[in-house]
Amino acid sequence: MASSTPFLAGADASPVRSGDLVVAVEHVSVSFPSPVGTGEVVRDVSFSINAGERVGLVGESGSGKSLTARAMMRLIPKPGRMSQGRILLDGVELGTGPTADPGTWRGTAMAMITQDPLSSLNPLVRIGVQVTEMLHRHRSLGRREARARAVELLASVGIPDPQRTLSYFPAVLSGGMRQRVALAIAISCNPRLLIADEPTTSLDVTIQAQVLDLLERMTAQHGTGVLLISHDLGVVADFCDRLLVMYGGRIVESGPTFEVIDHPAHPYTRALMASVPSMTGRLPDRLASIPGSPPIGGVWSKGCSFAPRCPIARPVCRDEDPLLVTQDQGDHAAACHATGDTQWRALIDGLGAS
Amino acid sequence: MNKEPAVTAPGKGTAATYAGAGRDHFAPIVDVRDLEVHFRSRRALRAVQTVKAVDGVSFTIAAGETLGLAGESGSGKSTIARTLVRINRPTAGSVTVAGEDTTRMRRDDLRRYRRRMQMVYQDPYDSLDPRMTVLEAIGEGLSVRGVTRASHRRDTERLLDRVKLPASLVSRYPHQLSGGQRQRVSIARALAVSPEVIICDEAVAALDVSIRAQVLNVLKDIQDDLKVSYLFISHDLSTLRFIADRVAIMYAGRLVEYGTSSQVFGDSRHPYTKALIAAVPTIGGRGGGPRIGLSGEPPDPARLPSGCAFHPRCPLAQDICRADRPALRQKQGGQMAACHMAPDAPAGEASV
Repeated sequence: MASSTPFLAGADASPVRSGDLVVAVEHVSVSFPSPVGTGEVVRDVSFSINAGERVGLVGESGSGKSLTARAMMRLIPKPGRMSQGRILLDGVELGTGPTADPGTWRGTAMAMITQDPLSSLNPLVRIGVQVTEMLHRHRSLGRREARARAVELLASVGIPDPQRTLSYFPAVLSGGMRQRVALAIAISCNPRLLIADEPTTSLDVTIQAQVLDLLERMTAQHGTGVLLISHDLGVVADFCDRLLVMYGGRIVESGPTFEVIDHPAHPYTRALMASVPSMTGRLPDRLASIPGSPPIGGVWSKGCSFAPRCPIARPVCRDEDPLLVTQDQGDHAAACHATGDTQWRALIDGLGAS
Repeated sequence: MNKEPAVTAPGKGTAATYAGAGRDHFAPIVDVRDLEVHFRSRRALRAVQTVKAVDGVSFTIAAGETLGLAGESGSGKSTIARTLVRINRPTAGSVTVAGEDTTRMRRDDLRRYRRRMQMVYQDPYDSLDPRMTVLEAIGEGLSVRGVTRASHRRDTERLLDRVKLPASLVSRYPHQLSGGQRQRVSIARALAVSPEVIICDEAVAALDVSIRAQVLNVLKDIQDDLKVSYLFISHDLSTLRFIADRVAIMYAGRLVEYGTSSQVFGDSRHPYTKALIAAVPTIGGRGGGPRIGLSGEPPDPARLPSGCAFHPRCPLAQDICRADRPALRQKQGGQMAACHMAPDAPAGEASV
């Protein structure tokens, strides 16, 4: 497998077949040196994404979702490091052989957009230069060709006057427009996987809808796999085929979106859904809230990290960390001791159903 | 809880009160009429531009009531908040709070007035001094109210209890608190001066979902106990649906829809409100189909479109919308809306 490295030649050279495995994250942990606790902020995370698949990673701040993405991009801020596991892109382990230099795949085979495009766009450089930079470097297009392609790209992400926009500085554009530019740059080299870390969090709802639609369209065209990271269960449930729920640095539930939403198997997922006020139907007088606060990354208590906040926790939860095990349906998994106990498990459905 | 106060005053047409006229049968704590806040921007070598950030907005808030204010960024929501606490000066119109006109207030009057109206911001770091402990921050507010130093600790602990925080936090600094705790401390700090109105400007927007629910519950409990009024500004409609008795939707500096929470969310009349509601991603799923209800972006407040400011994005726009700006009028269903295409309520119909 490692002998052929299709992504190094760019997606143009590798016809995309839907369902092909694009990325596999295997037992990845991320650690920071810490005087207390283990300092492990991402713990033994595994998942995979196929071509054209849209996977959502949902969790609260400190759950480790952004660091998982950064581990995939090999962009973990110092002094943190990936302390365990490996990441395979098109079957090649990142950091080995031809992928030793991240420049060969970062931004081309695997690209990322972030919450605030101002942090990925250079404020002092005109949009045109920033969009064409990738095309020069990785597609070896000439000046004029790159410019023409940049205009096409900006037009395809719905920027009204692409020709003129090329001469603008990022600050001139609205948040929605900046995110479109970031998306145009991210897809300019037809990546195999696009990581979108809270891409719509700072946008208004109507603009958020536009950007999500665009993301859906642009990635479907090229069969790009998407990892959408968000704290907003609504956004993720709306956009993704499959969900990964993170808590305390671990994946605590994973499965097809409809399965996870209709039959949440982890009390955290269930409680998270109940704490969002709905837009239809009768509203409760009080919202079902989860008591306490999320744990601080790297300082985990013994046992299940959700146990201190879990309304149905039993003594075993405080002693043993549950494994992520498959539920009755094949690809739905949860890390909860209640899983094996029908009566105990039934309590999960009762959470938040006040 | 006193749901939908004032609006449901039996037998009274509420259209008049909505519009700000005929308010003799109930006294709102906040009465904003025809408020205009214009900014003049001067840029070198360019003509002076007037930006109408808020352009003719009227609303009322009753004691113990929550008015939700929604709209996209740049719609003027925060300018209204800042004008209410007189950080910005109104260009025209009046803001009356508990019977006092605040528009012409000077220093001492303003200082007194600001005790009645407090603000809680999105980022608690904006309102909490990082070098002050919780006790010092809340104590500052208590001193303003004339509480003696000796009682600060007791009163602070009492306020912390109101926002469901343990008394042990009194000696902590802001950086030693979690985001949710910090926001609750800034709510406690606002409560320290016993205000009648608290403006929550995106107060829960930065909090994690599970923490957001806790803070919303705390805000509701405080209102039930103290009958404080909230102006709750949020871009998150589901939060507003939960917390607000009445809701005002803003677009480009003007109210486009205004009514009870159930009128606005359950039976909206303005196409912009409908689009906003449709754009909220829901956990239940959309059942396929495109997400977009609305193309384009909100207009540049310095260059508003002619007629109805929403017409370039509106799926229903006709010629009249490009020419005439629609007034905020009572529509079928009872709420007020500013849209030529929404049928008016029949004359004399009592509102719902």
